[in-house]
Amino acid sequence: MKVRLFFATDVHGSEVCWRKFINSAAHYEADVLILGGDMTGKAIVPIVQTAPEHWRYHMLDITHELEGADELAKGERLIRDHGYYPVTLTPEERDEYTSNEEKLEELFHESMRKTVESWVEWADARLEGSKTMCIVCPGNDDREDIDEILATSRHIIVGEGNVLDLPGGYQLASSGWTNLTPWDTPREEDEPKLKERILGIVKQATVPPERLVFGLHAPPYDTQLDVAPKIDWDTLTVQGQDSAHVGSTAVREVIEEVQPILSLHGHIHESRAAVRIGRTLAINPGSSYTEGMVAGCVVDLDGKSKLKRYRLTSG
Amino acid sequence: MATDAGKPAEQTLFVRKASGLVKGWSTGDGFRYSFFSTNIFLGIWGFLYAVFIPGGSVFWSIIITTIFVLLEVVVYAGLISAMPRAGGDYIWQSRVFHSSVGFVFGATGWWFILWLWIPIYAALCVNSFIKPVLRILGANGAADWLTTEWGVFVASLATIALATYLVAVGMKAYANFQKWALWIGLAGLAVGAILLIVTSKDTFIASFNREMLSQFGAKDAYAATIKGAGEGMPTSMFAGNLTDTFKLIPVMAFWLLWPVWCATLYGEVRGAKDFRKNIYQMGGGLLAAVAIVLVFLGLVTKTMGWDFFEASANGYMGVLYAYIDPAAVPGAGEYLSPTAMTAWIVNNSAFQIILIAAISLIVFGWWGTVFLSSTRMIFASAFDRILPEGVAKVTSGGVPVNALLLMAIPSVIVSAFYAFSPSFVQLTYDATLVIAAMFFVTGLAFVFMPIRAKAIWQNSALPKGPLLPIIGVIYVIFMGFNLWLWLYDKTNVYGVGYKNKNSMIFMGILYVAAIVIWVIAYFVRKNQGMELEAVAKEIPVE
Repeated sequence: MKVRLFFATDVHGSEVCWRKFINSAAHYEADVLILGGDMTGKAIVPIVQTAPEHWRYHMLDITHELEGADELAKGERLIRDHGYYPVTLTPEERDEYTSNEEKLEELFHESMRKTVESWVEWADARLEGSKTMCIVCPGNDDREDIDEILATSRHIIVGEGNVLDLPGGYQLASSGWTNLTPWDTPREEDEPKLKERILGIVKQATVPPERLVFGLHAPPYDTQLDVAPKIDWDTLTVQGQDSAHVGSTAVREVIEEVQPILSLHGHIHESRAAVRIGRTLAINPGSSYTEGMVAGCVVDLDGKSKLKRYRLTSG
Repeated sequence: MATDAGKPAEQTLFVRKASGLVKGWSTGDGFRYSFFSTNIFLGIWGFLYAVFIPGGSVFWSIIITTIFVLLEVVVYAGLISAMPRAGGDYIWQSRVFHSSVGFVFGATGWWFILWLWIPIYAALCVNSFIKPVLRILGANGAADWLTTEWGVFVASLATIALATYLVAVGMKAYANFQKWALWIGLAGLAVGAILLIVTSKDTFIASFNREMLSQFGAKDAYAATIKGAGEGMPTSMFAGNLTDTFKLIPVMAFWLLWPVWCATLYGEVRGAKDFRKNIYQMGGGLLAAVAIVLVFLGLVTKTMGWDFFEASANGYMGVLYAYIDPAAVPGAGEYLSPTAMTAWIVNNSAFQIILIAAISLIVFGWWGTVFLSSTRMIFASAFDRILPEGVAKVTSGGVPVNALLLMAIPSVIVSAFYAFSPSFVQLTYDATLVIAAMFFVTGLAFVFMPIRAKAIWQNSALPKGPLLPIIGVIYVIFMGFNLWLWLYDKTNVYGVGYKNKNSMIFMGILYVAAIVIWVIAYFVRKNQGMELEAVAKEIPVE
């Protein structure tokens, strides 16, 4: 049985990208949708109430003045589509969050949970009656409680740390854990532990390599999928013009050892590319979430032992 | 309601710990790329063609063109900010209109026509720098050989080799090279400017006559140049009627349209979503180049004399286009490089060569741009599966080997035509026209983005009022005006309009080739179960 996969990754809180991802099944006529991690946003935009029925927020160097509930709703939508979380606050509340890190952390937590809950609800309604399989794998930027919310879905299957059966006799082994980053994110660990984790997942697979697909958030080290500007880990600033391979050696080693037919990655938004590692086709479709665009890839598996074709998409 | 009131002092964004990698090129790299692309020596070379419209004012045509190109900068800054992806015009047109539109105009404008730029780059470099140095060294045989058919061809091959090398070393290394080339080139220009400031016209005439006698055996060359080729030429860069000044705009477009040359690379520039920063980068590159050229033209007027400058240009073009007898002008119609003429003020060969070599880095720093931007368009269309997957292949060292071959091999063929077919040189303006046609469609894409790419427009940081679409419409009209002048050219001033069958055939071949590639790709991919439109078509949100 031929199988068409659509893979996208790193939507980072962009509501428009999430909706597009769910709708991509019909758009690309895909049998399986896979989201490769990092679905939660990185920032909160405070919408500050400056007068009754009047709010103000600042985003991308533009100050937005909102009058009335309709404009407020539009503003919130624009912020969500951009991948940020809108939170309506009084000036005093904003100042409190500015000075109280713990309270801000709680606000992030709550914003992410609420957003993922609403996304799940929207996806369930949209996927009702659909034959498409929808798999969401969290990434290193996603906190672990996100998995629990995703697990409440009637149609979304959580792909963290397990092997899932795909149509056509294929299997997906996936994990959102990555090698260490300068940002100390929720799902990262050193290379030996990461290798142990990935091998532990892969061992659950019961199909031969030509029917096995990897969905690993971290790209393999020293490929065109993992090139990023070199960063000073202390100051988090870019070091001149230097670029570096920042992917995972563990991921690369496991790919080289197991040689699955396909290995899907994300994490490095700028490294949109596809490369061969032995018999494995490794793809990082990159991410354009801030533009409201879903960068993805469509992969056709022939139902036997070959990867028939793939194409990178932007929709 | 959105206002552009600047960032307030209070906290406007709370950020958590999360990965946040940034891109390879800095704002400064983008500025340098724009400055090099609006290359001042391409401008000076382009002024040669102004001799065909002597009734126009060079100064005012530069000013008018610059104002309109600033609108181009706004349009491109907006598109970059909304869609900061490698591929530039191809990506924007295919996302706003259709995959076929993006490919036909993107491939012709960023890929095919760049083959013709190779011999143009070579001619500019040979005439402005290589030959003057050879003449100073007394290597007249080598200098003369460079003007032969084989000389032109070999110079083009060298250009291809150098452009290929500069792309092969990668974005990072090339950006570093541009940085050094810029500083050394600017230092050379500063020395040249000081020489022109402190030198009187009489001293310049004496130095010019000395070198022309030494190098070409021409006596009293300054006066002879004006006598032999100065008739009918303007005596001031300000003089000219309005109609002819507007007719000079397509001549100025030959060098002024290109501050947006980095458009295909913006997937690799940090902060590319910042609309204003993009304007500063590209607009800064444009204005810096224009300012230098205007200062240079002022110094030319003061020290060399505008009548002489125009006569020297007319002497070269007259011999090239066979309306002036070579015997009537000193040097038999050799291009009198303004750089060399400036260096000649100092009667010291070593100094002259060093100064010419230093200034030439303004051109050599620009060399890689002829292929670098093109490779990104080729990559983007390969990612979209119009071109085969292998086209986007990158070696382990990061060299886009197949994309480079798609640039280099046809460039050899076009260079051979340029060198061995005398009429091919008259297609020079096609090199601008085909890109301008792509820019025209990109302008339309900017205007229609709010309607045809709503999600992108809404998610962009662009101001949402009517100002930007209005700027887009004015820019489209400006580009349309240029296209109309080039194509509906009754008197064959630009030489590439409907009266030049070779030009029509050449451009026709390029567009037909692009259409054929897209149609073949469409059916091949359809047969494979892929719809090319779907690759670029926006996924429905609701």
